Amino acid sequence: MTVFLQSLVLGLLLGGVYALAASGLTLIFGVMKVINIAHGAFLVLASFITYTLWDVVGIDPLLAIVITTPVVFAIGWATYKVVVSPIRSAPMASTVLLTFGLALVLEGAMGEIWGNNSTAIRPAYADESFTLGGIFLPKAQVYGGLIAVAVLVVLWVVLTRTWLGRAIRAAASNPSSAQLVGIRTASVAALVFAIGIAAAGAGGAITGVLYPFVPGSHYQWIARLLAIVVLGGLGSLNGAVLGAILFGLAETFTSTYVSPSWATAVPYAIVFAVLLIRPQGLLGTRLREDAVAA
Amino acid sequence: MVQISRGRGRGLMAAAVTGVLVASLAACGGDDGGSEGGSDDPIVIGTSLPLTGEFSQPGQAAEQGYKVWQEMVNADGGLLDRQVELNIKDDASNQNTVVTDYNALISQDKVDLLLGTFSSLLNLPASAVAERSQMLYVEPAGGSPDMFNRGFEYLFFAQQATADKQGKVFAEWVAQLPEGEKPTTAAYPTLDDPFAAPNVEGIKAILEDAGVETVYEETYAIDTKNFDTIVSAMKNADPDLVVHGAQFEDGIGMTRAMLKADFTPEMFFQTNAPSFGSQFTEGIGEENTEGIFYAVSHSPDADTPGNAEFVAKYEEMYGEGEVPEDAADAFAAAEVMQAAVEAVGSIDDQQALADWLHENEVETILGPLSWDETGAPQGEFLIGQWQDGAPQIVLPEDAATAKIERDWMPGGAG
Repeated sequence: MTVFLQSLVLGLLLGGVYALAASGLTLIFGVMKVINIAHGAFLVLASFITYTLWDVVGIDPLLAIVITTPVVFAIGWATYKVVVSPIRSAPMASTVLLTFGLALVLEGAMGEIWGNNSTAIRPAYADESFTLGGIFLPKAQVYGGLIAVAVLVVLWVVLTRTWLGRAIRAAASNPSSAQLVGIRTASVAALVFAIGIAAAGAGGAITGVLYPFVPGSHYQWIARLLAIVVLGGLGSLNGAVLGAILFGLAETFTSTYVSPSWATAVPYAIVFAVLLIRPQGLLGTRLREDAVAA
Repeated sequence: MVQISRGRGRGLMAAAVTGVLVASLAACGGDDGGSEGGSDDPIVIGTSLPLTGEFSQPGQAAEQGYKVWQEMVNADGGLLDRQVELNIKDDASNQNTVVTDYNALISQDKVDLLLGTFSSLLNLPASAVAERSQMLYVEPAGGSPDMFNRGFEYLFFAQQATADKQGKVFAEWVAQLPEGEKPTTAAYPTLDDPFAAPNVEGIKAILEDAGVETVYEETYAIDTKNFDTIVSAMKNADPDLVVHGAQFEDGIGMTRAMLKADFTPEMFFQTNAPSFGSQFTEGIGEENTEGIFYAVSHSPDADTPGNAEFVAKYEEMYGEGEVPEDAADAFAAAEVMQAAVEAVGSIDDQQALADWLHENEVETILGPLSWDETGAPQGEFLIGQWQDGAPQIVLPEDAATAKIERDWMPGGAG
């Protein structure tokens, strides 16, 4: 039973961080229909910025989120204005290629600035755990999980309880009608892209404390994050959270009860199986056009 | 429920899948051109190294080793009285890219000689490209037994032993410990990697013969980031000794996960990662290194021909500090190739270069190296151990720089 509970707790903590990292990806897709392949690279960029704040300035890496997130938000805003906005109306494959190129540029830039060596952020609590009834709770994971939940709650409140959230949802559901009622959809898109990147930034600050990273780590992250948002339903924030938790649990339970060698494969197999049954993902919505295509 | 978008079904899904596929493509390296073979032209030596990606740590160290060799050879009049140029590509730690790179080096850049890349994972396909082109291929890493069961004639591994024998000296030392000191149980987590896995297998075979019970044995995939569940399972198995088959990043990740879980077995052996000097101490904390064992091919203090000059040149070019083992291995690989070229007196007949290496022993900074008909080396590895925040050689005794300590004592150094 202890083994089961240990796996459950570790899976939930892992899923919480995945959820934060994936939330921005699904948010950007939901409003802009842009699959941001550079999302993982922004996450790793945030890890490097956090590393510098910790190593050079001496700021606690998790507290540094209050600096990292706005910085990455600004980078996201600028990226949208300079790179993404001009091709908003291009076919989706073009935006995929563009953001993949952006990921490579970011990888190269990070390599030039911070080097291609493995980097680790190790605050004093990084190697410590809480113990509860025979179950160990790594402190960094607990703190990171709590921060992830807090950021997701704020994001959820903004999207559901504020005028901005209504504008975002209106722009996502029907851009033409949103414009008719006075919503500047171009500004909303820029804001959503920046918020999405900022969410990746907050996630990157946390994952940087949890795992060592190199500029090329973004390939692993984007593969996981895309799987999570596809599992949850592209564009659904709640779906991303659900998908992330399921993904985290699948990884830990597979590692515990099957084999660690299957831990990175089984979650993708589950995604595949779910999509066979629900092509729109767990919480995605199926439209008339999907039925026609079927 | 917050539903930002209404799913658009297959079209969007296809685009997402396209994204995943696009994200899996790796970048290719650059092109430095090659030699047309004029007698006064420089000799161009081509290699592709993992300068970025998962193996960037050893890849960059190998690049340093090659460049130190190039500097020293050119300062000494060159190879066959010709200056040496290196054409180094970045394979981004990708098996497909490394094949593309070596094909380009041979067919497009028309380099005169080849040197190997880093890790068995990349050397397996890269050496096949060289073999098909009948070009000498001396590799600084790539000790998997799978490298040497293919009947290749041009392949040579420039370290003392293949991966399955690199931990032999350590395992035999553990096996002969008196009862009470000898661990009774052991765990063997290992990366799914053609270097790491045979390394661990070789140690396990010796320890099981010595009566050390295996209580945990699992392999994990290369993109594993989260080691907490593996460590949790190992902690439940409660081994006295952990033998971890690692490269670098996973070695850091596993050790940190062990520390987080307060799982500190009495003895800890890890492949590869602990040989990275200050990068290892930065990764897990110097205070946690005390007593960690690892197999290593090179000692900066070894009294081998040219070693002092290599270390001095390395420090001149790259600063003071621990000389990475992989830099030394790359230097030794270049030394092996150099010895063959100078003995044969030409670079035109690659078969003659390979034949000479099959029949002769070469003095390197790692010590004397010789090979069997498969290109597998015939020597023994050194065993290193972190003590007081510094790497020491502890086995074999005649090469030891410090007395061996049995236990891992995280928190005890620095």
